Amino acid sequence: MTVKTKKKEDKRIGLFVCHCGVNIAGVVDVKKVAEALKDTPGVSMSTDYVYMCSDPGQQMIIDTIKEKHLDGIIVAACSPTLHEKTFQEAARLAGLNPYQIEIANIREQNSWVHSDKDKATKKAVKIVKSHVAKAIRNENLEPIKVDVKKRALVIGGGVSGLQAALDIADHGYEVILVEKNPSIGGKMIQLSETFPTLDCSQCILTPKMVEVSRHPRIKLLTYHEVDSVSGFIGNFKVRIKKKPRFVDEKLCNLCGECEKVCPQIVPDEFNMGLSFRKAIYMPFPQAIPGTYTLDEDHCLGLSPVRCGKCKDVCEPRAIDFDMKETIIEEEVGAIVVATGYDLYTMQALGEFGGEKYEDVVNGLEFERILSASGPTGGVVRRPSDGKVPKSVVFVQCCGSRDTEKHLPYCSKICCMYTAKHAMLYRHRVPDGQATVFYIDVRTGGKAFDEFYQRTVEEDKVLYIRGKVSKVFKEGDKLIVWGVDTLTGKKVEIEADMVVLAMAMVKTDGVQDLLKKLKISTDIHGFVAEAHPKLRPVESLNAGFFLAGCAHGPKDIPEAVSQASAAAAKVGDLFAQKELSHEPTVVPVNDELCSGCGICVTMCPYGARTLDPSKGVVDVNEILCEGCGACAAACPCGAAQQRNQTDDQIFSMLRAMLRE
Amino acid sequence: MPVRQREKPFGFPKPETPHGEIVILEERCKGCGFCIEYCPHDVLVLSKKFNAKGYHPPEVVKAELCVDCGFCRMICPEFAIYTYELKTGEKP
Repeated sequence: MTVKTKKKEDKRIGLFVCHCGVNIAGVVDVKKVAEALKDTPGVSMSTDYVYMCSDPGQQMIIDTIKEKHLDGIIVAACSPTLHEKTFQEAARLAGLNPYQIEIANIREQNSWVHSDKDKATKKAVKIVKSHVAKAIRNENLEPIKVDVKKRALVIGGGVSGLQAALDIADHGYEVILVEKNPSIGGKMIQLSETFPTLDCSQCILTPKMVEVSRHPRIKLLTYHEVDSVSGFIGNFKVRIKKKPRFVDEKLCNLCGECEKVCPQIVPDEFNMGLSFRKAIYMPFPQAIPGTYTLDEDHCLGLSPVRCGKCKDVCEPRAIDFDMKETIIEEEVGAIVVATGYDLYTMQALGEFGGEKYEDVVNGLEFERILSASGPTGGVVRRPSDGKVPKSVVFVQCCGSRDTEKHLPYCSKICCMYTAKHAMLYRHRVPDGQATVFYIDVRTGGKAFDEFYQRTVEEDKVLYIRGKVSKVFKEGDKLIVWGVDTLTGKKVEIEADMVVLAMAMVKTDGVQDLLKKLKISTDIHGFVAEAHPKLRPVESLNAGFFLAGCAHGPKDIPEAVSQASAAAAKVGDLFAQKELSHEPTVVPVNDELCSGCGICVTMCPYGARTLDPSKGVVDVNEILCEGCGACAAACPCGAAQQRNQTDDQIFSMLRAMLRE
Repeated sequence: MPVRQREKPFGFPKPETPHGEIVILEERCKGCGFCIEYCPHDVLVLSKKFNAKGYHPPEVVKAELCVDCGFCRMICPEFAIYTYELKTGEKP
């Protein structure tokens, strides 16, 4: 929105050149820059100061604006990403429109990259001059105000997603929780017991699951996937794909008759393939929602012929083969990404016999073997023949902390869960030998080190510092070759079972979802935080918040804390009456627009549409992020970005190239 | 996360599935091969022999894999094939 602005000939511009200590002044002669610009047309005063961003620096700007009746100012300092807001605020306090502020970057683009003082000073003068040319053409603008939709979307129904949804709902806002699997619970529901207190994982998670399913403000959408997201902070439009369950959850009475007659046997994902389920199944007894689900990929077929055995025996007539994939549209103001993690594939560690030997298992498989609800009812057995293993070797850092071949980062939880595995194994098999190969044991956490000490001292688990080189089979034993780096000797251990603490990696296929959300990730595919120290639960993209292992490896308490923090941030956002949107957007001049539609294809935010009735382009200013792609592409000059018009850009170029 | 396919974890038996017995009325068959195409477990193949009309009827090769899904019966345009479920424990 533009408001009345003075003509450019009458404008009085003030110039403030910052030393930034020696960051700028060490290379650029700032006094010379201020002096050189003094007589430039439009500039009514110029000065320099050691730190413009300091309180006295800002006060000087405020006082000068008032005293000299300035119509615009230029601060020649660091990048506008750092202090543009600071100086806009100072201008506002002085009664000047904040969009009359220009930041001339003479640090990142000058003093930090040059060493020749003379040339750097000349360059600084040119940079500032170009901004004078722009500043006298700047218009007064007012931020665009937008409403906030006070509903949140949480993606992922693991412990982080559940916690975030509960907290936001308890703040008094509506929440939509989307989970792609048939039940909520995530990875935590698969765990046996949790370190360091050995609480039964299911026993502590199921109350939360029930709370979520009963909460009046939480809309639980299991077996749904986010299809697309458009819009912006406060006003997202989300399309959610409802996958057909083929069973009406309201009618299903869990009698289980369908499961009995189903002829299709499939490895059970909940038990990590250590048992079987049918194509129509309930993932686990406490699953929420409590209903059977027909897995379309494994059913013998639904079209054109159907076996229909399940439907024949279903007394409440809950099975409907004609269910179709449908799309639901929802409007939300904030999105919490809690998409969790997966384990690094064992195939990558062929030397350890991962996926080759049945008795070499990963951490999650061992969790199921330990679990009272697991395929063995909590008795530790090895998968190949069901014998109770008398010697188990645990290998830590499988894929983690290996910059050469695998992943450079530490997966953080493996030291603790391996200690837990070894301890629980020793409890269940008192005459068994547990041996752990480790690089370092990292026990940073409340009561973590005590737990590890207990594993070593009370439960007599043998810890060997060193790496494993090879695991191979001899008869029905697994032979583990490793090295003890404390003694420098080779170690050979006969084992019945080997447990690999596989690294935590991004969730399989999550990159497609993140692409739809248009949020940034780190090089490992985990969602990137806005600032590693000061904004750890926000995404760089406004309106998105992070919770749990989607952001990186974490244990349960940390994931829960982050979820609560994300929920608090969502609460902050929803507590605002309205949001401000930058007014530096690109509107359309109807008189000039030829309706060619080039800008429509250029716009990455979907802000521009061709209005067929008027034959010109229509702009949703709220969606426009001011990237300028359309303005550069427009052949008619009809798309002009506010305070970044073609006229301003050419004036800047002319000013810069004049001498 | 894809899980590992295991044949017989812990040596425990696989869950029971229904078993079916296939009955082929060879003289009605016109050799269209739909039953072979639609059988999800590839129980049937086209036989070498001829029926009275001169067509090759299907023949059962992997009887133990039949789960009595009835796909062959449903797709057969000539009502020339059907299955019935065997009692628990009864093997084809």
